[in-house]
Amino acid sequence: MSGAELRLGAVSYHPRVVTVWERFRTYFADRGVPTDYILYSNYERLVEGVLDGSVEIGWNTNTAFVRLDHEVGGQTRILGMRDVDLDWSTVLVTRKDRPLDGVADLAGRVLALGSRDSGHAAILPLHYLAQEGLDAGTQCGLIRFDTDIGKHGDTGDSELHVVRAVSEGNADAGVLSAAYFSAFRADGVPQVADLEVSWRSPPYYHCNFTVLETFDLELGERWSQALLAMDYDDESLRPAMELEGVRRWHPGGQAGYESLRDAMREQGLLS
Amino acid sequence: MSQSGARPDHRLADRRHPDRRLPDHRLDAEHLELGGGLEVLLAAALERVPPGGVLEVRTPSRAVALELPGWARLAGHEVVGEAPAADGTVVQVRRGRTARVLAAPLPRRGEPPPLRGGGELHTADWRGGGPPAAADPAAGFAPLGALPEARTSAYSWRLSDPDEVWADDVGELVEQASAQQWDASREIPWSAARELDDTTERAVAQVMTFLAQNEYAALYVPARFLPEVNPQLAELVLWLSSHVHDEARHIEVFTKRALAGGWRGYALASTELSLSTLLDERDFTNASLLLNVLGEGTFLDLLRFIELHAPDPATAAAARLAHRDERRHVHFGVSHIRRAIASQPDIEPLLVGAVEARAAKLASLSGLSPLVIESLTVMSSRSLVPAELADAAAEVRSLMATMQRNRVRRLTACGFSRRTARYLSDLHSPNLM
Repeated sequence: MSGAELRLGAVSYHPRVVTVWERFRTYFADRGVPTDYILYSNYERLVEGVLDGSVEIGWNTNTAFVRLDHEVGGQTRILGMRDVDLDWSTVLVTRKDRPLDGVADLAGRVLALGSRDSGHAAILPLHYLAQEGLDAGTQCGLIRFDTDIGKHGDTGDSELHVVRAVSEGNADAGVLSAAYFSAFRADGVPQVADLEVSWRSPPYYHCNFTVLETFDLELGERWSQALLAMDYDDESLRPAMELEGVRRWHPGGQAGYESLRDAMREQGLLS
Repeated sequence: MSQSGARPDHRLADRRHPDRRLPDHRLDAEHLELGGGLEVLLAAALERVPPGGVLEVRTPSRAVALELPGWARLAGHEVVGEAPAADGTVVQVRRGRTARVLAAPLPRRGEPPPLRGGGELHTADWRGGGPPAAADPAAGFAPLGALPEARTSAYSWRLSDPDEVWADDVGELVEQASAQQWDASREIPWSAARELDDTTERAVAQVMTFLAQNEYAALYVPARFLPEVNPQLAELVLWLSSHVHDEARHIEVFTKRALAGGWRGYALASTELSLSTLLDERDFTNASLLLNVLGEGTFLDLLRFIELHAPDPATAAAARLAHRDERRHVHFGVSHIRRAIASQPDIEPLLVGAVEARAAKLASLSGLSPLVIESLTVMSSRSLVPAELADAAAEVRSLMATMQRNRVRRLTACGFSRRTARYLSDLHSPNLM
């Protein structure tokens, strides 16, 4: 590693993260913006790493980004995000044979949630349901599957528990990301066959590459350009991009994080 | 989707307002659901939509409409609008711009391969005329006719040039190999192998042990080349597989016959030395000359001799069935070498060199092991009575002469001059294989 290399922090939510970043590391070097990666076991450590300068770029979940941005009073910049991050959403799933008559019908029933630090499987669903007039914390029985705390729902593990709980009748409904629900369906997870989507949240942003406002503007611009130039139709990049769940990178922006910012404030997660 | 109270951000995708552009295509999902076949219908419909074009999907199910955006993202597309309709919801799906498969588009449907009488599709007919062109070594595990998807880490095949491996009738040989499979457990009259006297049975056990020992080399040699052959040369892959399978059955039948009478034989060191030099050869054509033409060719005469002089029906049947397979193997070898010599004039000295090199390694072998010759003689005479032994010994001497004569004939058929054929035949391993 030379001194000229940028340091990017990511969370090792799965062994494939190494495969992805080994390929991207070579890619960024070839594009003239050498970038090494440093893996953290959880997003709280990654946020600390960005704050104390251990890494310049954080590959953050939406929850990690909002916390980081809050810590520095909004003095952050976003260098890019995946196409899927632009219109992430949460779905409420129920058994096909026990349909729900609107969100209000959830009152008095049992709702399954994913890990409590997951924006898409816990924090935002509670926020959006409240906007629909349902205070799930007091009006529903909550089952929380806190199986991947620190990973902010990246592993999908807690969401698999949500799906199983609803399918097996231990919960009347469950919330998880539309992305994971569709992936479970595509993977043939048997319990998903019993379920249907009863409600979908408004879209919001998910992950992004964050730097502090003090990060070199021109260098950030060059890094973004390199990121955006990644081509999914390039056979040498496709396997890594598939593992990262991206077909096209976008410049991104701050607009889609307002709902999560509100939700985290409401739920006392931003001090 | 009920969103009362939500504060939709105008900069985020808002799917409640359909794309104003006219959809390129329409699809009525009827009562299909995701996970229940709808994705198949969607994939087929989107294939007809140009990248960036819009497919309008009508569904009576609210649940399907709510789930479609997640499906679309996962599949590389995007839901760009949805609107209530009289009979459900209309969802607009914009086809993604990335290629689903990184490969050239499939060609138009072509002429299917011809069928033979009775509706049979033969391996010799599936590619239609002539030997294949050189295959791309990096084409990976692509079956014949398939379009390989681009990737960077494809398995690379050492044997991709048909000139290195091809025989013009390999398709027909593959067909024969399939048609002539047999069962070493059930097609041999094994009870007949229990009736021989001690002397004869001991001789049979030694001869069978010698055969089985040799057949291991005949199996390992093609087996080592098999994973190096490009799948585009599919006939060769099938051929070598059948060869390996044939030899496995020969090992089985000769081992069973060795054991069936209760005696044991020796695995001879001289045989071992001869066989190990066969496995040293890493060039396919050289190996084919050494194994198929010279080794298995010589074994044809040996197996015919054993069939004719077998003291029991089990031994005769084993030799007869193995002989039928070995004929195919020899035919392949002669055909391949003939093609190689005809198409690559400078290959002949290399082939001669391969035979010479093996002979040099076998310089310490002075002849076929006396134990094998004695066993063949006793097996034929079925006794140690002098007059009967003399006749049998003459038969064995005659076998050696037949082997030499036929080796020269096969080498000539390969395209070697008669003089070179004699020279190569003389250099061949005294171990026979």
